[in-house]
Amino acid sequence: MAKSVNIQIASVHLTSKFWQTFVAIMGVTFGVSMYIFMNSFMNGVNKTQDDLAFSALSHIRIYNQDNNHSYNPIESEYDNSRTVFNIHNRKSIQYTSGIKNSSGIVSLVEKQEEVVAVARQINFSVFFRSGSKKINGRVSGIELEPEDKLFKSSETVTQGNWNNLQTHKSGIIIGKLLAKDLGLQVNSSINVLTSDGVSKNYIIVGIFESSIKEIDKTKAYLNITAARQLLGENSDYASDILINIKDRDYTAPVVKKLGLLIPLQIESWQEANEQLVAGASLRNVIAIAVSFTILLVAGFGIYNIMNMTINEKIKEIAILKATGFSGKDIKSIFLSQAGAIGLLGGFLGVVLGYLISLLINQVPFNVASLETLPIYFRVQDFVLAVVFGLLTTLIAGYLPSKKAARVDPVTIIRG
Amino acid sequence: MENKESLKIRNLIKYFHEPETFQVLKGVSFEVKKGEFLSIVGKSGSGKSTLLYVLSTMDTDYEGTLQINGDLLTGKTQNQLAAFRNEHIGFVFQFHYLLPEFSCLQNVMLPALKLGKYSTKEIEHKAYESLRLLDIEDQALKSANKLSGGQQQRVAIARALINNPSIIMSDEPTGNLDSKNTQAVLDIFKGLAKENGQTIICVTHDTDFANKTDRTIEMADGLII
Ligand SMILES: Nc1ncnc2c1ncn2[C@@H]1O[C@H](COP(=O)(O)OP(=O)(O)OP(=O)(O)O)[C@@H](O)[C@H]1O
Ligand SMILES: [Mg+2]
Repeated sequence: MAKSVNIQIASVHLTSKFWQTFVAIMGVTFGVSMYIFMNSFMNGVNKTQDDLAFSALSHIRIYNQDNNHSYNPIESEYDNSRTVFNIHNRKSIQYTSGIKNSSGIVSLVEKQEEVVAVARQINFSVFFRSGSKKINGRVSGIELEPEDKLFKSSETVTQGNWNNLQTHKSGIIIGKLLAKDLGLQVNSSINVLTSDGVSKNYIIVGIFESSIKEIDKTKAYLNITAARQLLGENSDYASDILINIKDRDYTAPVVKKLGLLIPLQIESWQEANEQLVAGASLRNVIAIAVSFTILLVAGFGIYNIMNMTINEKIKEIAILKATGFSGKDIKSIFLSQAGAIGLLGGFLGVVLGYLISLLINQVPFNVASLETLPIYFRVQDFVLAVVFGLLTTLIAGYLPSKKAARVDPVTIIRG
Repeated sequence: MENKESLKIRNLIKYFHEPETFQVLKGVSFEVKKGEFLSIVGKSGSGKSTLLYVLSTMDTDYEGTLQINGDLLTGKTQNQLAAFRNEHIGFVFQFHYLLPEFSCLQNVMLPALKLGKYSTKEIEHKAYESLRLLDIEDQALKSANKLSGGQQQRVAIARALINNPSIIMSDEPTGNLDSKNTQAVLDIFKGLAKENGQTIICVTHDTDFANKTDRTIEMADGLII
């Protein structure tokens, strides 16, 4: 009952000073809406960046670069013995890098519950040749279905068809700019020369266009079996095993678990691409800094307005106290005013922030894969915006309310 | 009513320290019985209002003791005193203090809403009764700052009555009233004292008014004479 009187008094105070209340609410509204807009915008930018990056990047990569193994058969054979041995003409032979028994590893990886897709690849540098033209590039020997599951590669094929690689034994899909530079179309023939000097002709069965220019200029897809043939590798060979997991932000535990099972190099995308992680964190810091600055300014505004109100109403506070309202009641009267300003401002801020974001999302921006400025909404940004807005007003309202609670009624009433 | 003690003060001493230390109350002691109508008179500046603020429990900066209804109030916390005032003391200030943004009715209702003993409906009914008693019922829904001085004074008295306090204290309750309304207030106070056993303490300059009360105390220079 006593509580409802306090709220009643608070609401009379708020409604009788409409403009003051309005200005205070607008301060919060602006802060909250900016928080929502800035964060949704930064999320949009981050998401665009990630979509771009993850169109060619898996969450985890397993590979074998056999350059740090120092295998010494004699030492391991005669370890701890007193044999004296003498080696003449010691030679280092080159161990092939790459994974010889890939299907065993794939089935191990597939057993992990976090894993959603696994694809094997054979990547190597080649020269693409057509007539007198010769371009340095890279071939990816891929498994059609898993590759598509990881990177949606089939969607990037603009001419011909992704699945043609399955049916045409000597089919190849090349990047749009590569095709242009070589002056080739679908069904043209293209010559591929490996670094070992092996050369073979392929028929172009598709042309793809990704959102990354560099890739379109240099890359071609072969079926993984065709790639093995070209390199003269066994039928279970792969250079990379690419893995996507459920939540790409939590690669570390999966990498650790796989490390115990698989004696090869295992690398998360975060380790391989520190600049991506850094960029996203920096943008988040900017978003948070800007929105907090605005909320802080709004907080000062509310603090000022509350202080002014309390100075104006000091006589009335004295009367309330004289007729039996306690310091606690007075504090709750003014805190509920701050709370109401915070809630209303927060609500309007959510609406305004949403509208501003939608509007910005309409602004044309034709760069890379974008058509308009990117916006990406997350529920947590809306919740946090309201929480911070409310917190700011309550903190800003707290000090003046405490001052009001301490008003000494006799000093005021005596005059 | 029986001769029960309503209010008792012993040796009240009070100083003001601004602008210089100055003793306003120099050892005041008296008792008031339950249902007694007491008036306090004295020259301007003799310390009547100051004394009344101490009696009302609002001013706690004094020496000596204050008891109301047998409770020792000296030394209690501000919040305890606020709750006590709310329930047991009705106060009419020397300058009619109402909350200007609220209607007269709301002004009268607020102390009762704070007390929370009755439902809003009952409180509203009681507030109308109080306003009618002071012949100001017709102004109930007007905002308080749109009334004349005398009307505001009567609303303030109505507010003091709302919680059926055991003591009603007022500082110049008739200062702004014409003779007709002064007589009405006097009659109301007399009735409350006789019929409800409520104790009334009035500070006044009006000797006619004082003469019609049960007892009159005269103050001069911070002492009772
Ligand atoms: N806040 C104050 N600070 C210092 N001195 C004060 C203060 N309030 C009152 N006084 C002094 O205390 C004395 C008593 O004042 P008080 O208001 O009690 O007089 P009063 O008897 O009520 O007079 P009146 O009949 O004019 O209302 C006066 O001399 C006054 O100047
Ligand atoms: Mg006075």
